[in-house]
Amino acid sequence: MTSIAQERADRLNSLPFQKSAVSGGGLIGGFWGSIKEIAAHRELLDLLIRRELKARYKDSSLGFIWSLIRPLTMLLIYYVAIGQFLGAARGIPDFAIFVFTGLTIWGLYSEIVSTGTMSIIGNAGLIKKVYLPREIFPLAATGSAIFNFVIQMVVLVGATIVLGQFPLSRNLLYVPVAILIVLVWGVAFALLLSALNVYLRDVQYLVEVAMLILFWASPIVYSWSLVVGAITNSRAPWLLEVYLLNPVTVAVLAFQKGLWQAGSETRTMADITVGPQPWPPDLDVRLLVTAVVGCVFLIVCQRVFQKLQGNFAQEI
Amino acid sequence: MSLLPQRPPIKNAPVVIRTRDVSKRFIIRKDKSLKERIVNFGRSKQHKEDFWALRDIGIEITAGTSVGLVGANGSGKSTLLKVIGGIIQPNEGFVERRGRLAALLELGAGFHPDLTGRENVFLNGSILGLTQQQTADYFDSIVAFSEIGDFIDTQVKFYSSGMYVRLAFAIAVHVDPDILLVDEVLAVGDEPFQKKCMDKIREFQQEGRTIVFVSHSAGQIADLCDRVIVLSHGKIVFDGETEAGIDALRESFGS
Repeated sequence: MTSIAQERADRLNSLPFQKSAVSGGGLIGGFWGSIKEIAAHRELLDLLIRRELKARYKDSSLGFIWSLIRPLTMLLIYYVAIGQFLGAARGIPDFAIFVFTGLTIWGLYSEIVSTGTMSIIGNAGLIKKVYLPREIFPLAATGSAIFNFVIQMVVLVGATIVLGQFPLSRNLLYVPVAILIVLVWGVAFALLLSALNVYLRDVQYLVEVAMLILFWASPIVYSWSLVVGAITNSRAPWLLEVYLLNPVTVAVLAFQKGLWQAGSETRTMADITVGPQPWPPDLDVRLLVTAVVGCVFLIVCQRVFQKLQGNFAQEI
Repeated sequence: MSLLPQRPPIKNAPVVIRTRDVSKRFIIRKDKSLKERIVNFGRSKQHKEDFWALRDIGIEITAGTSVGLVGANGSGKSTLLKVIGGIIQPNEGFVERRGRLAALLELGAGFHPDLTGRENVFLNGSILGLTQQQTADYFDSIVAFSEIGDFIDTQVKFYSSGMYVRLAFAIAVHVDPDILLVDEVLAVGDEPFQKKCMDKIREFQQEGRTIVFVSHSAGQIADLCDRVIVLSHGKIVFDGETEAGIDALRESFGS
């Protein structure tokens, strides 16, 4: 009879050696290797997302309803201040739906990037003590952002149904495309910035400021037609192209085209008639290009992350 | 004068850890913020300090042995343990391993204070490489070992430090590792629990698991290890029998 120890030794004898540091591999090969490693840890990823969601509102009595109160408050503020006081609602039919559509998709992006940026630092305790594929932490942040997004999405779609504005048309196809673009770019930035934040803590404050600017750089509380009006009358019409270079802007526009039905119709409000809203020319091509460039950027960011992560444990 | 119980002999024991010319350089930057970096741009040499935490470490550890890594503070023993565990990547050389590895570097590193003990058991089990199903199977045994009892459904932030560590240790020993890395964590809990930990370690040794310890306690090393590696300033100065190793350690303190 062989002992437990001998059995273990015989089993180990038959195992191949594994290198503990797997930072090698080419651009695509290395990326693929990392994907496989993360896939092997998907159960843990799932638990980390739950942990993040559970822990966030653990001792509050309203719980995850808080994650809805924030966007709804923002909606109210923009509806009253920008829509009514500043008069943006006059040229934008169904202003409330328009703003909430923009806020929902923007909320997904900004939450992925800002919580993702903090994710490595926030899990310093684990990173210093256990080896895990470190991409898991930005991805867990992404997962909890997706959860909040889904809740808002339910509210948004519910509101369009209640108001009889559910956009049953081919435009709905823009919605998944917009979400995909936001996820790809959001995760790419989350990976890159979370890794840089380990070496340079200023990154997290920089992200905060950048998010503030970027919020106003996309047509979320004002409409695309206002941008077109302002820029084509100026002496620099090429600014419109610059405006559209922002991947999130393109995604926000596609998302609005998909879910904001009033934008594609002629509406009469009070005594003025508002025609269908303009959309950027070649929106489909732009979406395709943004998605493809985003995928390449994601791969590059993951490789940079992989290069930087070797020193995480000692730099944190 | 070994206090060890007779271990089962292992025929043609395989090598489970091998390191080849592993070197690790640490760079200490004194300017952490963007402002300081920009102000000091071009003069960054003055604001950096680097040293070799490990230099050309080549070791092979065979299955079933218990190895003590010892040395003075700052000799690189914890760094070596982290490099073996894959937590830090070496600048040069490489580490190869086989078999399931568990690292007891800090007990309860993955605990979230706001989650209950039960939730943390599943989370921590997953971090250490168990599937949900395996954790569920071991769950009762983990709770029994930790002696936590009914507190398992309490948030861990309300645990005493002893309970915290006991639960963490209980999870770690149920991971069924082939290789166990231990860093100074055995001095936890009250005396009966410490004895329980030691008994568990002995049981692990009987089962032919490989254990790598980092410890300052010569007594513990003499008690548990059958091979000692003494490090000094990132280099191996002794590698061999326990008794001679402890003498070498004392010598290295003097240098």
